[in-house]
Amino acid sequence: MNKEIEKLLFNPIRLKTISFLMSVETCTFKALLEITDSTKGNLSIQLKKLNEGGLINIEKYFQKSYPTTDYSITNKGRKSFEEFYNQLMSFK
Amino acid sequence: MTKEEQLSIINDAIKQTKTNLKPLGYNLVFWGVVIISMSLFHYFFPEIVQYSYYSAVIYWVLIPVLGMFYTTYYNIKTGIKIGYETQLDRVIRIIWSVFGLAWIFTVGISLIYNVNPVQDILFLLGIVLVMSGLIIKFRNITIGGIGLLIFTVYTYYNPGINLLLVNVIGISFGMLVPGLSLYFQKSDNLQLRY
Repeated sequence: MNKEIEKLLFNPIRLKTISFLMSVETCTFKALLEITDSTKGNLSIQLKKLNEGGLINIEKYFQKSYPTTDYSITNKGRKSFEEFYNQLMSFK
Repeated sequence: MTKEEQLSIINDAIKQTKTNLKPLGYNLVFWGVVIISMSLFHYFFPEIVQYSYYSAVIYWVLIPVLGMFYTTYYNIKTGIKIGYETQLDRVIRIIWSVFGLAWIFTVGISLIYNVNPVQDILFLLGIVLVMSGLIIKFRNITIGGIGLLIFTVYTYYNPGINLLLVNVIGISFGMLVPGLSLYFQKSDNLQLRY
């Protein structure tokens, strides 16, 4: 497995985010805050890293004049997570 | 982080993914009440609804279309509040959107050919209810859908039956009762976990 991806998923917040995004279509920042139990600043940084690694999509738009952001997993992210999970299970 | 800790994080995150079925219950109850009220009003006050051909058409098209706008608004608002959409949510949303389009198409065709669309709509509704019940694993909706399908087939063999009363009976047992049982279920039982 790609070392860069493995490094990305080694962080607990990033791993939790990717795991959650695997089972949903889209997700808001607020929902991810609740799921990861993280601070806004920290979560933003981790999401940016996941996006830069090509594992998640970030879609920004306006809803009733308020800026909103939706997050979803990319095909690369899904494939990487599956590989990562299978690797973990093989060690079990 | 050890491998066990990583697996534990993955399991925790996946366990937090829940499909909240209460909005579906609300939608079924809303449409059940609307259609039953409309049918009963039409049955008891035909002189008002059937004042002219167009008044009946407006009555049976305008109110459901307004209802569609309202439920779309409600579902969007609920979706924003929950903050995420699961694959199951998406499947249910697509199935009911397709039913909405099929309803518009059926009503349009019935207006062109001047036929009553009640049985066709009830048949479609029965199929969608059975599908939804099987997907979310909620027996009452599946049974309601099957009951509605059987009832609709029965009405095809009894052409003299009053279609407004057919609507009331079919929607009550196929939509309203299962919708109420889904809506008033304890919230823990309403959340499908992955």
